[in-house]
Amino acid sequence: MTHYVIIGDGISGSSAAETLREEDPDAKITVITDEGEPLYNRILIKEHAKGKLPEAPISIHEEEWYEDRDIELSLNTHVTGVDPDAKLVHTHEGADIEYDKLLVATGGTPTQLPVDNSDADGVHHFWTFEDARGIREHAERADKGVIVGAGLLGIDFAAVCGAQGIEADFLMRGDRWWRYALSADGAEIMHDGMREVGVDPVFDSGVDRFETDDDGHINAAVDPNGERYECDFAGVAIGLTFNTEFLRGAGLEENNGIVVDEYMQTNVDDIYAAGDITRFYDVLLGEQAQNGSWGSAKEQGRVAAVNMAADDTEEEFQWVSSYSITHFDFPFLSFGHPTLGDEHAERRYSDTEWRRIAFKDGKIVGGVLIGDLSPQSKFKQLMREQRVVSDQADVLLEQQVDLDELAPTQGQE
Amino acid sequence: MAASEYHRRSRHLERVESVTADETVRHVDQLDSDTLETVYEAVENDRPIPATEFGLEEGEIIVFTDYYRVNRA
Repeated sequence: MTHYVIIGDGISGSSAAETLREEDPDAKITVITDEGEPLYNRILIKEHAKGKLPEAPISIHEEEWYEDRDIELSLNTHVTGVDPDAKLVHTHEGADIEYDKLLVATGGTPTQLPVDNSDADGVHHFWTFEDARGIREHAERADKGVIVGAGLLGIDFAAVCGAQGIEADFLMRGDRWWRYALSADGAEIMHDGMREVGVDPVFDSGVDRFETDDDGHINAAVDPNGERYECDFAGVAIGLTFNTEFLRGAGLEENNGIVVDEYMQTNVDDIYAAGDITRFYDVLLGEQAQNGSWGSAKEQGRVAAVNMAADDTEEEFQWVSSYSITHFDFPFLSFGHPTLGDEHAERRYSDTEWRRIAFKDGKIVGGVLIGDLSPQSKFKQLMREQRVVSDQADVLLEQQVDLDELAPTQGQE
Repeated sequence: MAASEYHRRSRHLERVESVTADETVRHVDQLDSDTLETVYEAVENDRPIPATEFGLEEGEIIVFTDYYRVNRA
């Protein structure tokens, strides 16, 4: 009987466990997680922190879900090492778990700011359900906030502050939010959205240090310009540090994440990886890439499981991801790899509508839509078809996109 | 499908202010592209959801720019 061991019970690990049970009904399957609860909806924990959603709808699996599928679930279990020669997983309790095939789906941990008092009481990072509970509890009694990290995770803190009535300063290092994907035009729409909920973007700033009161609770952030921002709540979202420490010595190729091919295989026999932690070969992009979206993680877990069960390269991972921001009264959607590409086209349509498309070798590889999401499925279709369309960007920037207006490219009809 | 049957089976999105513990909730990022498009069109244009849309469950809450419950039209 094959023993599949999965480290991590996020959406990719859980998706893999479910698929493995379908593909290999007689196998032994073990899921190990250092968290104290089974799979929950990581996209929705921000809604809980905002005070809008109770806990119950965020849980996805009860422990019975695993029992019903004869999947062994080990909660609160830290993996301390992997020995690929002996095919063993070591845990903090001193247990050695044998595996035939191993999936690493451990994701990341929020990166701490390397500044004084970054671990003070009142400084929050946002990744787990437990984090969200703590943020909600504190946000409900906080008055003045500071947010650090001008990206997709930082804006969740802005939304929490807005929803919880915290007047906040959003300290950004550059001249705009998510400057790697948005021009000034697009970012300004997001800045206006922040201001409308009581969050003030501060540019060319950041945090040089946090200050605390006598009880060790944060009471200010000081930026590199010497400006002092009083606060009793701080949210830090400057990125993720991938949880690969336990793999030291296992021989897995890493490059700011675990390197896998399009089949989710690492360079070590019988070890696979899925989810946020991977640097995977993106067949649409034609190079290694990373993606932190829910749908991508779920699909990577499924594809990894299919290939693990087949003991072969049965199915490749091919996916166009989506990531939405739903905190404001206008929608925001990024798709694919909006920060990559060698060519870009963009247009602003109104005070709340903007569009940007990223191309590589003439093909769409990603984009951002603010306000008007109507072309999203058409752009994703063009991505999947890998059509060369950058020379017809004017058609793609029409408010109503009609793919029939695109001239067929030679050999692509 | 007869028009009356179509309307009987079609659904609409109702904006809701709060969610109870026993409700099922999904974020739009959990929907496939076609279902996302359906939700977007329904919200933007106050349009019913076609009976042929299988990606949404009656009674569930979808988190978009507001919270929306999928109701029978």
